[in-house]
Amino acid sequence: MDLSLNERQELLKNTARDFMDHEAPVTVVTDWDRKGLSFIPEMWNQVAKLGWLGMVVPREYGGGDSSFLDAAVVFQELGKGPLPGPFFSSGVLSALVILEAGSEQQKKDILPGISQGDTIATVAVNEPSTKWGPETLTMTATKQGNNYVLNGVKLFVHDAMAANHFIIAVRTSGSGESGITLFWVPKNASGVSVRPLTGFAVGLGEVKLENVQVPASNVLGAEGQGWGLLDKAMQKSIPILSAYQVGGCERVFDISVSYSQTRIVFTQPIGRFQRVQDHIIELANHMDAAKWVTYEALWKLDNNRDDALASIHEAKAVASEGYYQACNYAHEAHGGIGISREYGLVVHSTMSRTLYQYLGDPRYHKRKMVDALGF
Amino acid sequence: MDFESMDSPEMAKFREEVRGVLKEIVPKDIMISADPKKNNDEQYELHRELARRMGNRGWLYPTVPKEFGGAGLTVDHAIVISEELDEYELTAPSYSDSTRLIGPDIYVWGTEEQKTRWLPDMYTAKVVSWQLLTEPHGGSDLASAKTTAIRDGDDYVLNGTKTFVGADRKPDWMWTLVMTDPKGPRHQNLSWIMVPADLPGITIQPLDLLSHGGGGGFMSLHNNSVFFEDVHVPATNLVGGENNGWKVATTHLELEHGGGGSISRNRTIERFLAYCRSAKINGEPVIGDPSAQDILANIIMEEDVDRLFGMRNFWQRHARIRGTYEGSQSSYFRKMGGLRVSYAMLNILGYLALTNDEEWNVAERWVEHYQRSTITAVHPGGTQDIQRVIMARRMGLGRTVREEAGQMD
Repeated sequence: MDLSLNERQELLKNTARDFMDHEAPVTVVTDWDRKGLSFIPEMWNQVAKLGWLGMVVPREYGGGDSSFLDAAVVFQELGKGPLPGPFFSSGVLSALVILEAGSEQQKKDILPGISQGDTIATVAVNEPSTKWGPETLTMTATKQGNNYVLNGVKLFVHDAMAANHFIIAVRTSGSGESGITLFWVPKNASGVSVRPLTGFAVGLGEVKLENVQVPASNVLGAEGQGWGLLDKAMQKSIPILSAYQVGGCERVFDISVSYSQTRIVFTQPIGRFQRVQDHIIELANHMDAAKWVTYEALWKLDNNRDDALASIHEAKAVASEGYYQACNYAHEAHGGIGISREYGLVVHSTMSRTLYQYLGDPRYHKRKMVDALGF
Repeated sequence: MDFESMDSPEMAKFREEVRGVLKEIVPKDIMISADPKKNNDEQYELHRELARRMGNRGWLYPTVPKEFGGAGLTVDHAIVISEELDEYELTAPSYSDSTRLIGPDIYVWGTEEQKTRWLPDMYTAKVVSWQLLTEPHGGSDLASAKTTAIRDGDDYVLNGTKTFVGADRKPDWMWTLVMTDPKGPRHQNLSWIMVPADLPGITIQPLDLLSHGGGGGFMSLHNNSVFFEDVHVPATNLVGGENNGWKVATTHLELEHGGGGSISRNRTIERFLAYCRSAKINGEPVIGDPSAQDILANIIMEEDVDRLFGMRNFWQRHARIRGTYEGSQSSYFRKMGGLRVSYAMLNILGYLALTNDEEWNVAERWVEHYQRSTITAVHPGGTQDIQRVIMARRMGLGRTVREEAGQMD
């Protein structure tokens, strides 16, 4: 048993940490937030140049051939900003969907562009619903000759504004898991319109499709088989998203500890008061629970273990819950300064809400975990 | 990063060896029951004998040097032994003994003579030792200990009372925190002394408590009061320097507060989960209801996080990585988690969680036992609140200098 990172991972971590310290310090991150930016082209290009898009894609398709833990180590540092942008949606999730569902030709056509950053993709699954899962998919596609025609609305699509391509899950038949088809749709296809959904979240958009014609050659995987393929890709991607959430927890922990040392109230640093200590202690417990459940899931995934699936679901539940609660506890420890938008905590609170139900909320994943354990 | 002991060819061979040896040496009828009546003298002897057999091979404390009764092996060997013993639903040792904490105190702070005098018998399980810290007027304020040990010729003479100590079978030795300088300033007036339990003047009085620890008393550390009335202990039994006891305590407490980590699973939760997988009432699965499954998910997550914190701390210690708040974090999490999990079990099972009746108990009475033992477990080995105090100091909350972890090896 050895719970340390290897040399390559330490190097990746340090490089990503330096990058974030230089390019995305708190003043810059809060400035983007103030301007309502969820995509910053210069940052996107730099990250692409560093090779951090498509890290888990095999080298033959232009990817980094990295392990999931390698990628997670980078994303843990990006999460500390938090760095907004489709790094996960495109560089990890969409890439994995293409790998899982695409034909050999589609992989060759699409994956290199994703790794280079020219192709920016995101997955559009959610529709108006409080839940996550194939039963919520009602948007249909009908076949007309060599094309499919898509009509409907996808809601709360992550990084919709930044993307230039969508992977859209649509029902072509049946109900539940069966009968769902995945389509590769360029944003500039006629009939596609995107608008941002503002609120206590970042980078979410509505994608409307009005008679959008998609050639049959843009179907990913077999017709009607899409959910299973999408699910496999989502499962693999989840621990990397969890690592990003863990990074967020770590940042809000650090700023809370610092604040406890420097904020003087009642003639003492507030970290001397046990009530303030208790908030930061609960924060740390959420952070460390998320961290180690995520690391174990990554290890199981990288070693192709049979028991990986339950751990993956657990990681998403614990990390989503953890990041959300960590931010709340940080607010409890900070008082007024915490809600000042230039301080640097609100960006994390916003991101924690945004990611809470990305690829399924904790309730969904806990049930999937129990299923995966054979109960 | 690797969450298992790597089964290299060498380790696989070792695992085969351990399996074979355990098959020979684990007594056939050995068991621990949640029913105290079943943990009789005969059973206790079987447990002592198993520990001696393992101790002879140095397998009770595999990573301790051979000269002191260990086997001089690696962490991975220790994990293999623990895993194979776990197949028998046993830990090493499978009865209450504080050697895990006392051994390192002596190793770090004792003279070479004291190490040789005591460690081999402790680590090979020839003797059973209790730790005596808490007193009736205070446990959390350990520095206020006032059991006196006054020098008289070649002896120290002990007077005072310790409480919430020990298990339900007599020990051989008592590792005791005493006040050697009644006039001295706080934190500079304490010492540790090894007291043979058969000395005249020592009285052990069992307490009547909500629960007596795992195994109906076998595995507990807090079941008695001990009275010292003019007990003469050889001065050569004092360890770590007179009035230096608070510093020696940093080793003891680091380990007690979770710093050493652990690699064992929570057997009661495992038994409960096994019950949930198969149990039906009136033909309906006990966890057929989705809301019961949601509660079950929380129990599983609690166990996993507790296990991972223990594993992290175990690895950190053996990799000699200087930790900060992790020991107390795992202790705090386990204590509060115990309350959450027993509550969750109650919410799934209802009345069934509350009975140890012969016919209607769940998981051989272990579930009912857990309802009580999780309350009892909040305080021993440092209360949940003390753990938080320590976490805050180790994180450096409101301080410019973080408190350092105690030395464990």
